[in-house]
Amino acid sequence: MDEKTLRSIIEEVIKEFTSGSGGTATAVATAPSVSSAAGSLQISEAGPAERGTNPREVVIALAPGFGGRMTHTIIDVDHGDVLREVCAGIEEQGLSYRFIRVFRTADVGFIAHEAAKLSGSGIGIGIQSRGTTVIHQKDLPPLSNLELFSQAPLVDLETFRAIGSNAAKYAKGESPSPVPVRNDQMARPKYQAIAALWHIKETQLCDPNKKTQTLRVEYR
Amino acid sequence: MKSKRFEALDARPVNQDGFVTEWPEVGLIAMSSPSDPKPSIRIEGGKVCELDGKQRADFDMIDTFIADYGIKLENAEAVCKMDSLELARKLCDINVPRAEVVALTTAMTPAKITEVVSKMTVLEMMMAVTKMRARKSPANQAHVTNVKDHPVQIAADAAEAALRGFAELETTVGIVRYAPFNAIALMVGAQVGRPGILTQCAVEEATELELGMRGFTAYAETVSVYGTEAVFMDGDDTPWSKAFLASCYASRGLKMRFTSGTGSEVQMGYAEGKSMLYLEARCIYITKGAGSQGIQNGSVSCVGVPAAVPQGIRAILAENLIAMALDLECASSNDQTFTHSDLRRVARSLMQFVPGTDFICSGYSATPNYDNMFAGSNWDADDYDDWLIIQRDLKIDGGLVPVVEEDVVRVRNKAAKVIQALFRELGLTEVSDAEVEAATYARGSQDMPNRNVVEDMKAAGELMKRGLTGVDIVKALAKAGFDDVAGSVFGMLKQRVAGDYLHTSAILNDSFEVISAVNQPNDYRGPQTGYQISDEKWEQLKTIRQAISPENV
Amino acid sequence: MESEELIRQIMSEVMANLGKDQVSFAKKPAASGGVDASSYPLGEKMPGQIKAATGKVLADFSVAKVKSGELTADDFRIAPETLEMQAQVAESVGRDSLARNMRRAAELIKVPDAELLQVYNALRPYRSTKAELYGLANDLETKYGCSVNAAFIKEAADVYEKRGRLKAE
Repeated sequence: MDEKTLRSIIEEVIKEFTSGSGGTATAVATAPSVSSAAGSLQISEAGPAERGTNPREVVIALAPGFGGRMTHTIIDVDHGDVLREVCAGIEEQGLSYRFIRVFRTADVGFIAHEAAKLSGSGIGIGIQSRGTTVIHQKDLPPLSNLELFSQAPLVDLETFRAIGSNAAKYAKGESPSPVPVRNDQMARPKYQAIAALWHIKETQLCDPNKKTQTLRVEYR
Repeated sequence: MKSKRFEALDARPVNQDGFVTEWPEVGLIAMSSPSDPKPSIRIEGGKVCELDGKQRADFDMIDTFIADYGIKLENAEAVCKMDSLELARKLCDINVPRAEVVALTTAMTPAKITEVVSKMTVLEMMMAVTKMRARKSPANQAHVTNVKDHPVQIAADAAEAALRGFAELETTVGIVRYAPFNAIALMVGAQVGRPGILTQCAVEEATELELGMRGFTAYAETVSVYGTEAVFMDGDDTPWSKAFLASCYASRGLKMRFTSGTGSEVQMGYAEGKSMLYLEARCIYITKGAGSQGIQNGSVSCVGVPAAVPQGIRAILAENLIAMALDLECASSNDQTFTHSDLRRVARSLMQFVPGTDFICSGYSATPNYDNMFAGSNWDADDYDDWLIIQRDLKIDGGLVPVVEEDVVRVRNKAAKVIQALFRELGLTEVSDAEVEAATYARGSQDMPNRNVVEDMKAAGELMKRGLTGVDIVKALAKAGFDDVAGSVFGMLKQRVAGDYLHTSAILNDSFEVISAVNQPNDYRGPQTGYQISDEKWEQLKTIRQAISPENV
Repeated sequence: MESEELIRQIMSEVMANLGKDQVSFAKKPAASGGVDASSYPLGEKMPGQIKAATGKVLADFSVAKVKSGELTADDFRIAPETLEMQAQVAESVGRDSLARNMRRAAELIKVPDAELLQVYNALRPYRSTKAELYGLANDLETKYGCSVNAAFIKEAADVYEKRGRLKAE
């Protein structure tokens, strides 16, 4: 990430902070238009999310800022491309998916757990704006997981596709080999403080009183 | 034109680190935020009705818990009125005994103790750590993990780490379902290296407790607490649930310490504009109030946050000192990578390395960092000789001892063979001779064959389902002909019946004798007092394999 | 200087309670039949008097008995009496909150693993209603005599209610 991006994030957070409003934030969170390689990502809310009954679905839950106020991950991967790859991974296993957005928390464990609880298959994926991702299963404790990709700077598009694919395999009742965990001990020195800025921004978009919403995701 | 000097500087490792300026409004500040409360306490009818500027009616969950459990109230009002500078002087004054300081510090409020340590330089804090550490002798802890969650490598690395002097070993998992295998491999491997090593497996709270109940671990450490209520909620706990968890561990005769650290609240997005150190002080008071014997702190996994702001490394030493001043065992972090610069990582560690703490690192990576599943440690297996030589240079005991290659190869090989036999006896997955051979000589998992992960996870799940316990492991080891290792695992299980290692700063020696702040309290009172390196130990520390003696020339 | 005086006054009070060469403060004499730091480590100094939760004596533990099946996993559990003694040791060196924890723990020894995990999970935020927590507390008290823990759980429920951390109904 370059200095300019960092500066713009900081400025935005300060602006939100000084205006002191969490209420308007949610509206902005789903503001349209993210430019992407093949059309811009358009996310809109479509009412409170319901529990699914289709055992062949994976629910993908987005953190409050994903694809709205925030447009790319900490290593500059476009959010539209992230969703495209996760969906492709699910589709290649012959399963379907749907999207929700969690507002109550920006914690990726809880977001993924919410997805799993609402998923007809009991399998969900949670994704934070910075790129941190979890595959979850509804019967596990919220802060446990099936697979966790905690180091956002290491989660690239290839990994996102593999995450989608593995989530679908769990949904089918298979025991896939977990997506190889990548480990870079130098990610923290470089990114941790910046990741904190990212997360502060995402938590400021939270709304503890707003129910999880079904999302319509389109590319235009 | 570009300055060549700056070109060279820009290429230095330190300039790959991320730095940010202070931003007090969101709590991105290490110490002394303008929003930090002023110390105050008012007690009516034995109950705290005002704490650090807040009335009881306005208390959040954390304020309530600290007010009701965290502070010794008898002298609290009087201590709060004392001059913080006077108190800071007492902390580092060799003429004031530790007990006298503890009587004062345990009566302070979180804002008061934060104000007191903020008056001290890092050098004065190091003096204070020398005196305030609970156990007389320092020790060290290691991480034993690998990217493949390879159980044979875990056992071999654990055996080597034990031989090298670590008193505690900690593992965690890449894949959660591997946890039982990692815990068992660590425990058994450690006992091969040196009987009496305490081991733990850091996973989700409920799972971690279950592994302990089964007898696969001797202690727990990842009992995390946070300094703001919102972050505590995202951590999926409350001070009450964590205090109850502390009692659960003690009820099973398991040692336990809490974990916290500066930066976690701002990292998780809810710092309420308070400084990292003040919020950490609240964590330490929660820990004290819950009745934990100790804490792992020193920013720990959030170290990149304080390290990116001014005086962050000073704040980390200050939080260690607060833990010790509250009479808690302190496992003082020095564990996670926070810099690309070798100079910075040594400077950061000297703060605890020189005075010595209960566990200087918590922990030191017993593998090369590419295998460290805590996202990398500040020190790794490739640094072993550097650590040993710094000990020798400064004549300090950092918890490690020099070893020779043939001993390392011997214990690694034995640990691998023991795991092979144990897995066979317990009907788990197969461990091949090739894996034993590879683990014996491996530097890390890049030298290890791949496991059949799906089969391993299935077996790990089944062993939990069929109710396997530490007692089954003792039997299986004995049946496989490893009576000595069976005896050591048995020795560990016996500890939970007596419960002596539940006390502050407890470790075990190789005869399973407990060394803690009860029977070996720190009695430092200046030069030639407190912990002194014995002649025998010094002989051991100075004998490094690299040194050339006159007879060899 | 005023604070200097204060320090002197408090220290003289505190020091009055100190044993001469005791490093920890507030040393209390062992109650009759009780223990203090001088008996510690109990497992090394009095293994004949330490019993497991099943009643077996620590001094008689051996690997041979594990192999023969005479000692089972249940025998490697600490007894309430032992935790009470450890609590007394902790108190004798001024660690009151650690002692409190050990006494809460002593009550929980009887509670089966699964039930203990269940209570712990119920105490996590947004997991339980106030009535559910009170119910669990009463169960622990009536079934296992955990009165201290029961009060602790009810207190948690009250705090959760005040702070809006109960399960939404």
